[in-house]
Amino acid sequence: MEHGDVNVVYSVEHQLPLIMYIGQYFFFTGLSAGSFVISVIATLLGRKEFKPIGKITAILAPALLIIAPLNLILDLEQPLRFWHLFLYYNWASPITYGSFLLTAYPIMGIIYAVMVFTNRQKAAKVFGILGIPLAISVHGYTGFILALAKARSLWNTAAMPTIFIVSAMISGIGLVVIISAIRYRWFDKKANAEQKEQDKKVILQLAQIMAYVIMMDLFLVLSDILVLLTAHSDAYEAGLLILSGNFAFLFVGVEIILGSFLPILLVLGPKSRKSLTAAVVASILVNIGVYAMRFVMVIGGQTPPLS
Amino acid sequence: MVIDIRRCIACHACTVACKAEMAVPLEVNATWMKIVEKGAFPDVRRFWLPRLCNNCTDAICARNCPTKATYKREDGIVMVDQHRCIGCKYCIASCPYDVRYINPLKNIVQKCYFCSHRVDAGLLPACVETCPTRAMVFGDTNDSKSEISQLLASNATVVLKKEMQTDPQVFYISADEAAMSSIEERINYYTETAFIKLRI
Ligand code: SF4
Ligand code: SF4
Repeated sequence: MEHGDVNVVYSVEHQLPLIMYIGQYFFFTGLSAGSFVISVIATLLGRKEFKPIGKITAILAPALLIIAPLNLILDLEQPLRFWHLFLYYNWASPITYGSFLLTAYPIMGIIYAVMVFTNRQKAAKVFGILGIPLAISVHGYTGFILALAKARSLWNTAAMPTIFIVSAMISGIGLVVIISAIRYRWFDKKANAEQKEQDKKVILQLAQIMAYVIMMDLFLVLSDILVLLTAHSDAYEAGLLILSGNFAFLFVGVEIILGSFLPILLVLGPKSRKSLTAAVVASILVNIGVYAMRFVMVIGGQTPPLS
Repeated sequence: MVIDIRRCIACHACTVACKAEMAVPLEVNATWMKIVEKGAFPDVRRFWLPRLCNNCTDAICARNCPTKATYKREDGIVMVDQHRCIGCKYCIASCPYDVRYINPLKNIVQKCYFCSHRVDAGLLPACVETCPTRAMVFGDTNDSKSEISQLLASNATVVLKKEMQTDPQVFYISADEAAMSSIEERINYYTETAFIKLRI
């Protein structure tokens, strides 16, 4: 039977269950996890030129993670019952892993930040290393939230947690580049010329790493789309929805072109690779792209009717 | 529950009975009639399908509920504890059949429970009781002497989205594929939705 020959006369659809609070939450945890990983890498390398970055990110990570769960609580229909999550936990549900991770990770982050600022290098390294798996799972589990809701074919793929972790890295690095550029430009008056040169080099290096991680992300997204388009009919519809349907502008236009290809060109292009402005613009674009990705995933994933 | 579409006349009595029995608010439905038209003029026919929660044996909604507000009773009915539900809506996102809704008056999630309170009192669910053509049959599928078991044994039945591995407990006799699938709906759908449905 041709699709065109069937018309739905009447059916009931229920409203979109998860709205953009959830997407925003994904965005903030992503930023936090990304900056935490950068911070720990900076601490572990222990080189003097990475110090400022290590400190900025050590504060950013827990700060962002205090904002993030507020979005979750706002999304509840019964916000005052949020403590049920801890009292009546269900280990089969990814939200339960999340509620415990979201408690443990900021605590670890704060301890780590204190160590970094009090200059206890050894302890900072230990807590940093312990924190990395937490940071990664705090963001990885959000991928599982989507992937394990098997009704939605856009979400139900094994690539989802990895895509989330990688895009978290991207947006996290982007944020760090932006903030360290602000510091470099306006708040670092005391440093001498040589130190300034060093700082600039570090920022540009970070931006380059970001470009390589974006390539990884593009590969993951490409494999996801290819599989969607060749899998069962629901998955095919989901693939079409983001490639040519309502979400094409946000997915292809904003996420892929504006948020991935353009930043790669800006950061690695022969003309702009030495420019701090280009790195900052790329980082802003990248964050817009990742935000769009969260929108496409959360809202787009729920758009196709199920009944 | 077995629903025999050969008998069903799409009178919507089950929808009305459900609304009255369970005090389902305006704009949401725990049970409803899906109607599709198939073919091009003059060869057209309508097909329909009464829809409700399948009270799945392997219910993904119960597995994903973080607070165990959604749970299964001994007899297989999937319940929502209205004092425990925090309204995270993850169950709605997980259910492959789109049968759960947010009760706008109570701000929690609800759905069809096969009228568990009536079953406990030895009565039939309101929709089954109301159905004028006796198209809906409710009973214990484990009891081989029950009417429902005999119907299941002697008829070809189908369930919605078997591939979802949820083991739905609403069985349809003589349901049309076009009414059971949601794909046709999606084809014409992309242009209108999401942005309107956002409740920001
Ligand atoms: S139909 Fe949906 S809500 Fe009902 S038991 Fe199955 S998964 Fe849960
Ligand atoms: S909305 Fe309520 S019933 Fe549904 S998953 Fe959340 S707590 Fe459980």
